[in-house]
Parts: sequence; structure tokens; C-alpha cells
Amino acid sequence: MMSLHALIVEPFATLAFMRAALVACLALALMNGAVGTLLVLRRMSLDGEVLGHAVMPGAAVGFLYAGPSPLWLSLGGLASGLAVAALGGLITRGGARRDAALVAFYLVALSLGVLLVAWRGSNVDVMRVLFGTVLAIDRRALLEIAAVSSIIVLVIAALYRPLAVGAIDPGFLRAVGARAPYGALFSTLVVLALVASFQTFGTLLAVGPMLLPSAAARCWGLGAAVSMALATGFAFAASVAGLLLSYHVNLPSGPAIVLTAGLLFGISLAVANLLRRLAPISGRNA
Amino acid sequence: MGANGRIILDNVTVRYGRRVALEAVSGEFPAGSLTAVVGVNGAGKSTLLAAIAGVVRLAGGTVNCAARQRLAYLPQIAAIDCDYPLTVAELIALGGWREFGPFRSTRIALRARAAAAADTVGLTERLGRLIGEISVGELQRALFARLVLQDAAIILLDEPFAAVDAQTVPVLLDQVTRWRQEGRTVIAVVHDLDLVQAYFPLTLVLARRCLAWGATATALPAMAA
Repeated sequence: MMSLHALIVEPFATLAFMRAALVACLALALMNGAVGTLLVLRRMSLDGEVLGHAVMPGAAVGFLYAGPSPLWLSLGGLASGLAVAALGGLITRGGARRDAALVAFYLVALSLGVLLVAWRGSNVDVMRVLFGTVLAIDRRALLEIAAVSSIIVLVIAALYRPLAVGAIDPGFLRAVGARAPYGALFSTLVVLALVASFQTFGTLLAVGPMLLPSAAARCWGLGAAVSMALATGFAFAASVAGLLLSYHVNLPSGPAIVLTAGLLFGISLAVANLLRRLAPISGRNA
Repeated sequence: MGANGRIILDNVTVRYGRRVALEAVSGEFPAGSLTAVVGVNGAGKSTLLAAIAGVVRLAGGTVNCAARQRLAYLPQIAAIDCDYPLTVAELIALGGWREFGPFRSTRIALRARAAAAADTVGLTERLGRLIGEISVGELQRALFARLVLQDAAIILLDEPFAAVDAQTVPVLLDQVTRWRQEGRTVIAVVHDLDLVQAYFPLTLVLARRCLAWGATATALPAMAA
């Protein structure tokens, strides 16, 4: 029987790459709780997913230009992510056509990205950009993640009120003369967050640690600020559990973390529904 | 409120793509007047309010509205996202946006005014609830309280009495009457013609064009024709 110490503490105490992965996941969790909660509240989950893949072709061009250099991958990813965010913003007419256009963006971006990387790189390189390398985070990548995460948390703290009102009642925000492009600003923050997550989780999984813990936290019917804190807690818990799972059972780390977050979402959904059935709240959304 | 609550429409035309939503509407809402806008579905009633509020682009004509800086616009209630975890008190306090803007904190005086406004629409007991947990009628009351805080010279209401419960309608009508006594210009899209007859001195009948506009007794029959 393995002791608790050997189960939980030892992997991180003995291995530097596990510690780096843990710190990276904590830094990402801090920003993902805030960004993800706003994504869910603004009903932009699909936009988040699309932007996650939109990072791919730019990162691939960066890869072609400079090899697997984190700086060029990030700059390229930022450029194509922002380009797709701008295109998505141009499609303002809602409904099914916008959905279809967004999904078209993401399919094209993903295919283009994989083609570009496979053209000059190996299968290992393709896997790396698709699923990330959470166990190979170096000091410089760690600093980049921590810096971006800090900036995003601060900007969201400053802009929370217009971002919230823009989600609840966009007409009111326009009518009181708050015409700054808050929506575009928020999309920029999402792209920045996804670029920061790209090296750790890859283009296919980067949205996972952002969306799943936030969707899980939203199930509990709490206020926005508490929801963000809970989402950050969920994201970090999923990271620790996923890393340990991957270490002990020898599984790929990124998918293990996202799967754990998915499990938290499933549990939250089930328990919240059960509680609601036991003690129904009066009102339309109950 | 003075003369600045006056709105003059001159050949106001709005198109959505190739569809003409509003065609060459001209006329004047006097300062401090209370007008009902009536018409069948698709007659351009909501479009007219949006044009006055300046949130839709005009294809032609002009809206002369000196007090647009002091205009409050309440769209149809379905435009509010009630899933957002916002309390009734917070929703009402947003009426003071022009005082605190996107960044400053709300002052105690504003919170007191919000509580007073909630009291006049009978929502004191609901202040701590989330907006997703109250009824449609209570939400409309909260939005009226938010309008009270906005302290606007011109108030535009898009179907404020639709879908609300029977107890709420008189509460809202009382507030509309108070606004009129305070000299504010109020324009409301209304479906219930009995309400129009009983409470609104002026009526504008729309069918993309203006069919009739004036004293309710003379204008309203155009609706039946």
C-alpha cells in the first residue's frame, strides 16, 4: 500500500519537471477561472473553442520560421488568433449562420495548422502542437505564463463591470454611452489566455482547462466573483489530480488533466440537479 | 424638465437590408408629453424607439432630440439575459451608470436612491434575489426602478406591459403617471388599446408609415380602420 506522502507529495518533491508543470497549471488556473467564467456567462463557449484552434496556423508559421521556439510559436499564434477573433466579430448577425461560420473557421485553422507543421516537422511536432507538453515547461515559458496570467486577471478586475453589463443588457450599455469596444477587448484577452495555454495544453486541449472548471463552477448558482474563485479552485484541483494520475498510471498529462476537469463538471452538474430537485427554488430558471 | 425633452422627427426612414421598417415618419413629441405608439406586429414601433434612442442607423431623415444625452431606453424585456448572477439591487443601481461609469464605486447616496426606487415599485423584499429567481413582472418593476435612477428627460418604453402579471401593470402605470407629473417626455409601445385610451393623452398609430398622430380620442380610431 502506497503512503499518502508517496502518492501526492513525492512526485512533485523529487521531479523538477513535475514541479514546473504544477506551477504552470496554478498560474493558468488563476486566469482561466476568470476568463472561463466570463466566457460561460457571455454565452461564448463556442467562440472560445474556435479561438483555441485559431491559434494553430499562426503558431505553425512560427514553427516553420524558427522551429519549436516558444516565442515565435506564441507570436504567430497571437497573430492568427486575433485575426480570427476580428473576423468572428465582423459576423454580427446571430443565429445558425454565425455558428456555421465559426465552426468553418476552426476546421480550416486546424487543418491548415496541421498541414504546415507536418510539412517541415515530424509526427512528434504535430502531437506537440495538438496536445501540448505540460511536462516540458521551462523557466522561460513559466515566466511567460505567469506574466500573461497576471495581466489578464488585472485587466478583468478593472473591466469587470462593463463586461458584465454588456453580457446582461448590451442595449443598456450602448444607451448610457459606454461605447468602448469591450467585446473586442474581451476576445483579445481570450486569445492571449489561449496563447499562454498553448505550450502547456496544445491547440486541441487549451480550451478545456478554461471552460470545464468554469462550467462546473456555474452549476452551483453562485455570484460571478465566487464562481470565478471556485472555477480557479476546480482548475487547480483538476491539474493536481491529472498530473498525479498521469504520473502513477503513466498516461499523457494534458488529456488526464482535461479529463479530470470534465469529471468535475459531470459531478457538479449531477449534484446541482439533484439539489434543485430536492429543494426547488421559485422562479423561471429553477 | 423644460423644452429640452422635445423630439422632432423629420421624414425618418429605417431599412433592415432591403426591407423598409419605417418610412418617412414626421412629427413632434412635445416636451413633457405622454404618447402611446400602437400598430400591428411589424409596424415599426420598436424601430421608431430605436431610431429616437440613436441605436439604429437612419436610411433617411433626421431625429432632432436635444436631450439625447438624458434619454433612457427600455427595450423589450426578452433582451435581458437573466441567467447572469446579478442581484435585483445591483440591476437597479446600474441606473446610476452616468454617475459611476465603468470604473468608480457606487456611493452610499446612490444606494439609498436605489432602495427608495425599489420601494416605490414594491420590490424591497426582493433586493437580494438574483434576477433569474424573480418573476417577469418583478423583473419589469426592477427595470422601471432602474429607469427612475437614470433620471432621464426622455423615457422610451418598448412594450412595458406585455407579459407582466395583473398586479404589476397598475404599479408600472403609477410610475408612468409620476414621470408625466415630473415633466418627463414618455413614449411607450403599447398593445392593450384599453390601456391607451385610459392612460395616454397622445397616440401615434404606425403601419411602417404614420397613419395618425395626435390626441388619443381622434388618432386611435385609425388603428381599427
